[in-house]
Amino acid sequence: MKSHIKNSTDYLIKQLPKATAYVNLNMNIIHISDSWVNTFEFSRNLSDDSNILNAFPLLSNEWQQDLEYAFLGFKNIARKDKYFDRDNKLNWLEWIIHPWYDEKENVIGAIIQIENISKTIELEQKVEKLELLLNAKSEIAKIGSWEYNVITNKLTWCKMTKLIHEVPLDYCPSIEMALNFYKEGYSRNLVRQRVEKAMKDGDTWHEKLQLTTAKGNDIWVQASGKAIFDDGKLVGLIGSFQDITEEVKVQQKTKDSEVLLRTLIDNLPLNVFIKDLESRKTLVNKSECDYLGMSNDEIIGKDDFELFHKESAEISRKEDLHIVQSLTPMIRKETLNIKKDGTKTMFLTSKIPLLNDYLEPTGIIGFSLDITHLKEKEKELRRLVHITSLQNKKLINFAHIVSHNLRSHTANFSMLLGFLIKEKSDEERENLLNMLISESDNLLETIDNLNEVVEINTVQNQVSKPIHINTTITKIKKSIKSLLRHKKSRIKNLIDDSVYVNGIPSYVDNILLNVISNAIKFEDPRKECVVEISAKKLKKYTVITIKDNGIGIDLEKNKTKIFGMYKIFHQHNDSRGIGLFISKNQIEAMKGKFVLRSKVDKGTTFNIYFKEND
Amino acid sequence: MINSIFIIDDDAITVFGIRKLLATVVSCTNITNFSNGKLAMEHFENLGNDNELPDIIFLDLNMPIMDGWEFLEAFIKLPIKQKITINIVTSSINSLDRDKSNTFKNRTHHKITYNTKPLNKDEIQNITNPAKQQH
Repeated sequence: MKSHIKNSTDYLIKQLPKATAYVNLNMNIIHISDSWVNTFEFSRNLSDDSNILNAFPLLSNEWQQDLEYAFLGFKNIARKDKYFDRDNKLNWLEWIIHPWYDEKENVIGAIIQIENISKTIELEQKVEKLELLLNAKSEIAKIGSWEYNVITNKLTWCKMTKLIHEVPLDYCPSIEMALNFYKEGYSRNLVRQRVEKAMKDGDTWHEKLQLTTAKGNDIWVQASGKAIFDDGKLVGLIGSFQDITEEVKVQQKTKDSEVLLRTLIDNLPLNVFIKDLESRKTLVNKSECDYLGMSNDEIIGKDDFELFHKESAEISRKEDLHIVQSLTPMIRKETLNIKKDGTKTMFLTSKIPLLNDYLEPTGIIGFSLDITHLKEKEKELRRLVHITSLQNKKLINFAHIVSHNLRSHTANFSMLLGFLIKEKSDEERENLLNMLISESDNLLETIDNLNEVVEINTVQNQVSKPIHINTTITKIKKSIKSLLRHKKSRIKNLIDDSVYVNGIPSYVDNILLNVISNAIKFEDPRKECVVEISAKKLKKYTVITIKDNGIGIDLEKNKTKIFGMYKIFHQHNDSRGIGLFISKNQIEAMKGKFVLRSKVDKGTTFNIYFKEND
Repeated sequence: MINSIFIIDDDAITVFGIRKLLATVVSCTNITNFSNGKLAMEHFENLGNDNELPDIIFLDLNMPIMDGWEFLEAFIKLPIKQKITINIVTSSINSLDRDKSNTFKNRTHHKITYNTKPLNKDEIQNITNPAKQQH
């Protein structure tokens, strides 16, 4: 009977779904479920009287404790521990041991239920790990999350989200409170729109927004979210929330730096450019754009041959190659740039090789300063210095002339007066007085002449105007009629009636009169005197040429004296040195010049250059 | 004893003055004047013998055609053994002219002196006295 019961109980227990074993007070297995045997690869031959402690030898101590406790009638709590199976694989086991009572409530053994919880433990560990990872990530990236349950109308913020908002950890926001953290205006309006749309259409959102934290700090966040539907019905919203203030600040800083750099290079009074190794422009500033007359986009990518005249491009390319090959900068070199349209510009250019982290050249950065203007100024300055030194020379010369002329007269006065004082003879006194008067007349004339020269050189308000040259010549011919008749001279005027010169009328009259009468005065008595007058138009001047066949002059010998005051070269009674001296001053006052060619006994060619209007 | 004096000057009043001053200090009557250096040079080139050479020359600097310097340059090249007193008389008070006259002193055996106009009696005496004693 016992056996029968036993057997029927045994069969019952055998079928228990959970791994279960019954042991007697000797810890020998009385019943064991198939699930135990199958799950833990217990051979069925683990006979009924096998000691349970042999089942998991590693756990025998703990089991013994639990069993003894159960034998005393106490229920153990579930315990778990690891064990290694036959393949030496780590497993987790959860067991619970309760006392086994007979019908009379006597403890006759213990009931052991075990479960392999390796999978659960593994999952738990995985979850734990993930949680840790998530927390670490969220802390590092400052990414928080939130969840909104539509049904309970409850908004949950994670710790990081709270930290970002700078609220205490026990803070419980409502959805309205949460939205109000966003800055009024753009940010708040946008997030509201997005949330509403997500709730309606199930859209996700991802926006860069500004909010003000509980402590009043303005920050930038990347807010994302999406709606969650269950069976087509909205149940909630979830989202992440990242503090990107630093990033935005860095971006802003980069942007600011870029703007600053751009503003700086665009407003430099310098042309700035960067070229790649093929001499193609990769960056140009506004000055360079203005200079080339092209937009930034038109210039970028073009090389010198596409932007400049071939001649300039070749030089520039050669310089570039030298710079990147030798890695030596070219500093402050005067370069002539010729654009496609032929415009020439003088630049003071510096070109520096651009290197990457490995110190390899990647291109060239260049700066050029337009010095065309400076160059012109320099030229002008040189010209002015030249003029000044000429004028200075002229002034010194004039001072000498003045002092010499006045001195020779006063010396004569002094001498004659010395004689006069001592002279007793009336006749001689009369003679001396006449000489004094004549000397006085000479002095007056000298002063008049000197004054005329001074006026030519100082009076600047004389007005230049076009002068019909043939009218002037006709007038001169008339005034020297007697001279012409006396010398039996002929004037051959070849000038076309359309010729005008630009000048001060009285000066032009005087110059022509002087030059023409000189030509006649210094005729060669052995020949028929012919004075030929012609005109020629040059770029900046109209040249009137007065050619005679007179006695000529040795220009080599008289080079320094020819236009000097009171220099007379020929023994002609009516020659006075003052004429050409004044004429020379007059033509120079009109920015013109004299050019002479002469050969003794052959004649003189006198070219008068009248400056054209600029 | 002064036999002959030349005055080379284009200014009639100066010539008159020198002649008048000379009359008061020397008894020389053989005074010839030339209105420029070229005329004087032509005269020297056509001279028959040394007896016709002057003892003293009064030389103006600023003259037409051939000025005093050009004359001096040509004159010192003439093969004249006799020492002749050449007295530069100029209205120039330019120190460069005086310096230039000094450079000639080392280049010739002739005696070269320098005076500015107007000449006075003392200066004429200083010029003529040494010349008188030479003969």
